[in-house]
Amino acid sequence: MNITLNQIMPEPLASINHGENSIWGNKVVLESGKRILLNASSGKGKTTFTTTTIGLRKDYSGSIMYGDRDIKSFSTDDWTDVRTRQVSVVFQDLQLFPKLSVAENLRLKNSLTDTFTEVELKRMLEQLEIDNKWDQECGLLSMGQQQRVAIVRAMAQPYKWLIMDEPYSHLDIANAERCMNMIHERTIEQNAGFVLTTLGDSHGYSFEQELFL
Amino acid sequence: MLDKLLFKNQDRLQLIIAVFGSFLGVTFLVTSIHYLIKVQEFGEGADILGPNTIIVQKKVSNSGTLGIKATDFSELEIEKMRNMPFVEDVQPVVSNNFKVMFGTKDPLVPPFSTDAFVQTIDPNFLDVKTDKWNWKKGDEFVPVIMPRDLFVMLNTFMSASGMTQVSDDLVMQINCEFKLSYGRKVEHLNCRVVGFTNQVSAILVPQSFMEYGMENFSDGTPQKITQILISGQKNEFGLVEDMLEERGLESRDSQMVVGRLKSIVGTLFIVIMSISIIAVLVSGLVLIQFMQLLMSKNAYEVRTLMRIGHHPKKIIRKFFLYFVRIFGIITIAGFGVFVLLKILLDSVFASGGVNIDTSITITSILALIFAYGIFALASYFTAKKGIFNEY
Repeated sequence: MNITLNQIMPEPLASINHGENSIWGNKVVLESGKRILLNASSGKGKTTFTTTTIGLRKDYSGSIMYGDRDIKSFSTDDWTDVRTRQVSVVFQDLQLFPKLSVAENLRLKNSLTDTFTEVELKRMLEQLEIDNKWDQECGLLSMGQQQRVAIVRAMAQPYKWLIMDEPYSHLDIANAERCMNMIHERTIEQNAGFVLTTLGDSHGYSFEQELFL
Repeated sequence: MLDKLLFKNQDRLQLIIAVFGSFLGVTFLVTSIHYLIKVQEFGEGADILGPNTIIVQKKVSNSGTLGIKATDFSELEIEKMRNMPFVEDVQPVVSNNFKVMFGTKDPLVPPFSTDAFVQTIDPNFLDVKTDKWNWKKGDEFVPVIMPRDLFVMLNTFMSASGMTQVSDDLVMQINCEFKLSYGRKVEHLNCRVVGFTNQVSAILVPQSFMEYGMENFSDGTPQKITQILISGQKNEFGLVEDMLEERGLESRDSQMVVGRLKSIVGTLFIVIMSISIIAVLVSGLVLIQFMQLLMSKNAYEVRTLMRIGHHPKKIIRKFFLYFVRIFGIITIAGFGVFVLLKILLDSVFASGGVNIDTSITITSILALIFAYGIFALASYFTAKKGIFNEY
């Protein structure tokens, strides 16, 4: 499924001059299965890109197409299907439930599609070296640990696109690399694509496409 | 897990207060509706006239006795009373204008005979089965309703004659007789007592018998209406009383007292029921407000659940089911306490000499179901609105 951003201009960014190769005000196609880097400094609209692309914000002109459908025509049922089976997201503010344990946070997502067993979920945490946090409340974890939980949660569903909004901002190089490896494997396995927004670091990964703001 | 996420961090005290308020409202509602109905039913079937019906006549004064003031009712007077908003119906009580004697005609009892005064009233006012209250020429007997005073007199006569007194049931088995006459024309018709009354002083006969007597044995004297039946609206007996006073009418004290008492008690229960309905509404609103507060406290959780793929309908169902369960428990508990209260109140009424029917009224159960239905609807729409606000 291609995602097409057709002359998108978010209202808060309309008064700013954008470059010729900016995704704002131009036609951009996120081709199915591609690994894409969105590199920009703070305040240029990386989070706006994420929230607009996944239908959380509607204050924009232009159109966003999932395949041949404008997302403005999506019903509640359509969005639920998109968010459980087609597009997975790692939010910049993570959107975890701080009063629930790591296990409960993962179960709440995984139970929608039964993508993984508990053993598999634990193994993924182990891969990111936070398996000992299984029963701990998310609110008590460090930001880096919470980011890793949010990444595992985003993995726990089938998807065609994985959109990640600065997912490594609190991770050291080694942990970011581990996460990148896991995301790469899972994405390839599903023949899916991903978009990673960063503040300039490509985390040693070779992307197939780069977007600019 | 969703329950833990959405309902764990709530203000328990506020929930307890809302639940207690609803419980009191529900209990008062079902209790007041039940007893309101029981009070309305009380006395029904105890006599031949309905509980809001009285027989009235004009007060007899010296001028009335001297014939200066009319003691009968004109059609215009009856029509005016019928048009009063608190009056359900007014009908004349028709008396005989032909000579009739009533007596026993049974070998088991001594012969007894007396000039009789018979009356007939509109069958709609009578609480007797209509299949027994019919007569046509050639029938085996004329059904009559006997004034209890006449029955007592009959028993007194039997006692004075050295005979055994008879019970209600036995009197209804005795063969009696009407003797209708005009000049030399005489006709004997068998009759049988089918019921008793404290409310009417004359022997009551079916309308068809009265018409037969008037057609065949009347001396032609025009019929005068000296008594009328007034049926008042429920709980407005005070207005009927005022009207009687204003128009110089009178009725039996016992009928007035019963009507007055029922009117007072009925009004009192309506007031209590109104308060209960308000209490149920207020407590329902408190619960709904608590639901809104809970959803607003959980706005982040609700929003995030939907962002990670939980369907809004699933979350609406969670909130809806949680609150209808709570109200269900309140309704069942309220009904349980009502049953206990009913046992207590019925025994208090019984020891006070008021033996009301102890079965639970269907209307009170329907009122509970109705209150539950309204709350369920309100819960659903509140949950839907709250969840979609976060969508």
